[in-house]
Amino acid sequence: MQYRWNWNILFVEPYFGWLLAGVKWTLLVAGAAWIIALAIGCTIGVMRTLPSRMARAIGTAYVDLFRNVPLLLQLFLWYFVLPELLPASLGHWVKRDLAMPEYWFSVVGLGCFTAARIAEQVRAGIESVGHGQRMTAAASGLTTAQAYRYILLPLAARNVLPPFTSEALNIIKNSSLALTIGVLELTGQSRQIEANTFQGIEALTAATVLYAMLTLCVITGMRVVERQATIPGTLARG
Amino acid sequence: MISALTVRIPTAVAPRVQPTMISMNGVSKRFGSFEVLKNCSVDVGKGEVVVVCGPSGSGKSTLIRCVNGLEAFQAGSITVDGIKLGHSTTDLTRLRRRIGMVFQHFELYPHLKVVDNITLAPIKVLGRARAEAEAKAMALLKRVGLAGKADAYPAQLSGGQQQRVAIARGLAMDPLVMLFDEPTSALDPEMINEVLDVMTELARDGMTMIVVTHEMGFARRVANRIIFMDQGQIVEDVETQRFFANPGSERAKQFLSKILNH
Repeated sequence: MQYRWNWNILFVEPYFGWLLAGVKWTLLVAGAAWIIALAIGCTIGVMRTLPSRMARAIGTAYVDLFRNVPLLLQLFLWYFVLPELLPASLGHWVKRDLAMPEYWFSVVGLGCFTAARIAEQVRAGIESVGHGQRMTAAASGLTTAQAYRYILLPLAARNVLPPFTSEALNIIKNSSLALTIGVLELTGQSRQIEANTFQGIEALTAATVLYAMLTLCVITGMRVVERQATIPGTLARG
Repeated sequence: MISALTVRIPTAVAPRVQPTMISMNGVSKRFGSFEVLKNCSVDVGKGEVVVVCGPSGSGKSTLIRCVNGLEAFQAGSITVDGIKLGHSTTDLTRLRRRIGMVFQHFELYPHLKVVDNITLAPIKVLGRARAEAEAKAMALLKRVGLAGKADAYPAQLSGGQQQRVAIARGLAMDPLVMLFDEPTSALDPEMINEVLDVMTELARDGMTMIVVTHEMGFARRVANRIIFMDQGQIVEDVETQRFFANPGSERAKQFLSKILNH
């Protein structure tokens, strides 16, 4: 097979613009999904450690539901199935009037899926603080809410920083699945370049390099955060 | 039901004039089918120092954790300074404000400076102003011999220093009672005395204390009474001197012979 290499294709319009747009949408999907994942994940993770049996049961149900179904299938369920199950008027609005439904459903789908993973890390982070600190806080008269606010969560936050870095990387990479429901994020754009120019190797290489650059930025940023959060007198991590 | 094992020796001294601070009556606790506490009854008067000793797993720690509601119990009643610990309705926060507690593993909050460890509960639970709480913390640090360590983090202190901070943290709430749960068991031998000295001074100042410990020297010097526990029961509850001179039960004799012979 003769393959005609042409790296220049990546730097000419419109393809260069397509790649930039891909980066933009990857960041928009991953960033918005990350906010949802953190909000739901931290809430569910805390619920799984509360004294209330009810709260723990809800948390466990959430994690079991979203962690045990493949992400790709979840995106399909959100995008193709959920609008049919909504009340008629709401379903109508979603299908007819909602701008960029593929974007919003991929954000929600990816966010809810990642939240289940975040929740498990938050739970582990709180549990690893130890029963002793919880007991000490209670013995000094702090309420459960105060114990979480001043003791358990600040310590758990330090425990979960390293796994959160992994999750941030995962959410960037997993956002590529949004192309299956029509979001032209980075992977989607590179495939579009391939379809238009037959320069598939160049296009996919560009996507690979761009993903690596995005994730390296995240890693570098999280290192700084981890260093800032180190408690004096303890062994520094990272 | 009074357990057959319980030996209550009538005290020779005049009845205590101090009001009762802690009163436990027939307290029983079980984990599943395992009885951790069996029908335990203890009265502790104001200003009294009571040492609880006994073999591992005899229920000593569980007993004092019942006093501030860290452990629930299934039967019996506990009253602390007039507040009754029921099964669910007690205002635990109000009760715990009055009881300081020191744990075996110090349990200082590692992310907070020493001074913030001490002021957290006074500010958040008692609603004291920060300046007032900090002034008090400084005075307490001086009292436990750590005046210069206010801005250190727990991990920068030795075990003995950490435990003294923990005592200061307990005292910062102006407690009516201090509970000590094996406060020296996790310490290097060299550091045990610096903690015991602080506790001795506290006892001299009239603090009501219940101390779970294996430090029999401390018990002999400081305690008014010794409670000896075995298998969840209070086997002896007697004056300190009598306990060491002539323990009433065979089990306590065995225990003492093992613990005092080295």
